[in-house]
Amino acid sequence: MDHVWDFTSVIASRKLLLIGLLHTVELGVLCLVLGLTAGAFVGAARYSRNRWVNWPASAFVEVFRNTPALVQIIWFYFAFPILVPIDIDPFLAATLGLSLNTTAFAAEIYRGGIQSLGRGQWEAARALGMTYGQQLTRIILPQAVKRMVPAFMNRAVELMKMTSLASVIAYGELMHQAKTISTYNFNPIETYTVVALIFFALIYPLALAMQQVERRLRRSE
Amino acid sequence: MGYEWDFGIVLRNADLLLLGLANTLKVTGLALAFGLPLGLALALGRLSPRRWLRAPVGLVVEFFRSTPPIVQLFWFFFALPLLTGIEIDPFRASVLTFSIQSSAFFAEVFRGGIVSIERGQWEAAKAIGMARGQALRRVVLPQAVKRMIPAFLERVIELMKTTTLVATVSYADLLYQANNIAQRTYRPLEVFTVAAVLYFVVLFPLSLSVRGLERRLARSGETTAH
Amino acid sequence: MSEQGGEVLRIEGLRKAFGATEVLKGIDLSVAKGEAVVLLGASGSGKSTLLRCVNFLEIPSAGRVVIDGTAVGRERDGAVLYREAELIPIRAHVGMVFQHFNLFPHMTARENVMEGPRTVLRLPRAECRERAGRYLAKVGLADKMDAYPSHLSGGQQQRVAIARALAMEPRLMLFDEATSALDPELVGEVLQTMKDLSDEGMTMLIVTHELGFAYAVADKVLFLHDGRIHEEGPPDELLVRPREARTREFLRGHASFRLPEAEF
Ligand SMILES: Nc1ncnc2c1ncn2[C@@H]1O[C@H](COP(=O)(O)OP(=O)(O)O)[C@@H](O)[C@H]1O
Ligand SMILES: [Mg+2]
Repeated sequence: MDHVWDFTSVIASRKLLLIGLLHTVELGVLCLVLGLTAGAFVGAARYSRNRWVNWPASAFVEVFRNTPALVQIIWFYFAFPILVPIDIDPFLAATLGLSLNTTAFAAEIYRGGIQSLGRGQWEAARALGMTYGQQLTRIILPQAVKRMVPAFMNRAVELMKMTSLASVIAYGELMHQAKTISTYNFNPIETYTVVALIFFALIYPLALAMQQVERRLRRSE
Repeated sequence: MGYEWDFGIVLRNADLLLLGLANTLKVTGLALAFGLPLGLALALGRLSPRRWLRAPVGLVVEFFRSTPPIVQLFWFFFALPLLTGIEIDPFRASVLTFSIQSSAFFAEVFRGGIVSIERGQWEAAKAIGMARGQALRRVVLPQAVKRMIPAFLERVIELMKTTTLVATVSYADLLYQANNIAQRTYRPLEVFTVAAVLYFVVLFPLSLSVRGLERRLARSGETTAH
Repeated sequence: MSEQGGEVLRIEGLRKAFGATEVLKGIDLSVAKGEAVVLLGASGSGKSTLLRCVNFLEIPSAGRVVIDGTAVGRERDGAVLYREAELIPIRAHVGMVFQHFNLFPHMTARENVMEGPRTVLRLPRAECRERAGRYLAKVGLADKMDAYPSHLSGGQQQRVAIARALAMEPRLMLFDEATSALDPELVGEVLQTMKDLSDEGMTMLIVTHELGFAYAVADKVLFLHDGRIHEEGPPDELLVRPREARTREFLRGHASFRLPEAEF
């Protein structure tokens, strides 16, 4: 009732927290890079006129957008190893789940960004005699990517939060370290408060930057 | 590899999975029921001309949007009872967490919708003598809500996906049941696959309706707020 | 292949259908070097479609497009096949000016004009710069080279778009309602630019609703109706004494057109 806040045991565990933080950032950055890269290809595949290409790409996107990320991670950890002859440790399972999840959302961002440009830009480029690749790289992408930046940043925010799900399969990121620390020291109040603040300090600047970029873009258009 | 799929095991435990799904929907529904009005209140607080109200409300909203929900859930489940001395079961902790968590997101949807209404509407309402609250209720919100619907549904989808976290505090939702069955039967592949399919079956139609609504609104010249 | 000296464009039996609706039902026309041909027609009659078949933004359903004596596409089993690789040099040599300019907003005026010569013709950078300067000066925008499109008026944007097409040094220019999206006070500067081009001998196929301009500049006027060239003739015949009832009706509908007699 009259809880006396005492952070000494949390401070004593700062090394564990730091390792957790590193793992959180590592997992987040890795999945972001993988997801944004693969998302470009999946997004492009959804554009293909060949249904053997666009149909699987669409199915992939819908499945990963419409199932919970935690279920994806758990599926890759417990179910997937039965299908493939490789060992899947918590890090690999979390990376697979989160980067594929990000891939699906990123594919939609690419698609939305490209579709937000009217037909006229494609046609003007085509009328000059540009190839499809030139139209895309010289005219469409430079404009579209700019519009996609806030959505990508938003993905980064969501992804950083999602990395905490890896704690469920005991990957040693920040949340998992928090569980460990609070179990050993019986100090869940202080530990979870500190960890929440660390996450906030990590993610809020990203969210702020995103709002800033969004405002700047809106003013320039 | 020649793995032999056996969905019979899943079928024999279908009642448990469906019970889990029902619990998932229960938590989602309750969080929605509390989160929506709370979200509106937070949005109005954030739009208030009074700084002493605006600033703390903004902080609460940003905090709950910028921290992982699993951290919030663990705080409410493990820390809050120690702080208050009030016992709290997994179900209550989950509803409490996700009501507040989703309200922070709903607040932004409300705010975006309200801000998207042109100043002329406020002025016209004031010009016929309405107070701020009346203008909001009678003129602005009815227009804003229509534009906000796709963003709301989007948040409902996210909310339902987030509720899988309740499994980590042993509330018997769909994921928790799936995990139990998988451990009991040594058939994680079938069980977790079916669990994913069940989530998909509920969420995909919602996603499709979001897209349909967005198209309709875009055609009628109204943008969605987000 | 005919040997008519200086025929830049010939269209033979051109048809274009979108699904079940046939928009063009057999068009024949020819544009000689240095000629300005104006295409008239009601909204939705297929004027844009016809222009877009000339640079293959739309692929014709049937018929041939002959540019500089060379028929585009390969005939096989009664159908004409087009390869993208073959169409690209055609587009590079046929300039198009759009109703809504379609300037590249992420590039300055100069960069817009340089883009084609650089990316498509692969000319050296210095030459592209020189060309951009020359053609922007030609359309009267030497002082706006470093401006982004969003900082230019509609008329200026359209003139940059004309310079962008000219910088490819095209054999033929297509104008699709180049002034329809402009505020009335900006129409004049663009029409003047187009008239100057024609006076210098540029070959042009022009869709416009500016009948006064058509009267002053066109060598030949075509009236498109029901998927066919309904009537054609020199401007002082077709615009003043149309033979066909449909053409008369169309001209009467253009209230803004003061009778040429009254003007000249
Ligand atoms: N890509 C397309 N798909 C289907 N119908 C089209 C397409 N482009 C044009 N059309 C139709 O073809 C007809 C002629 O269009 P258009 O050439 O743009 O006419 P105009 O330029 O004379 O106004 C219109 O009925 C239009 O709806
Ligand atoms: Mg047209």
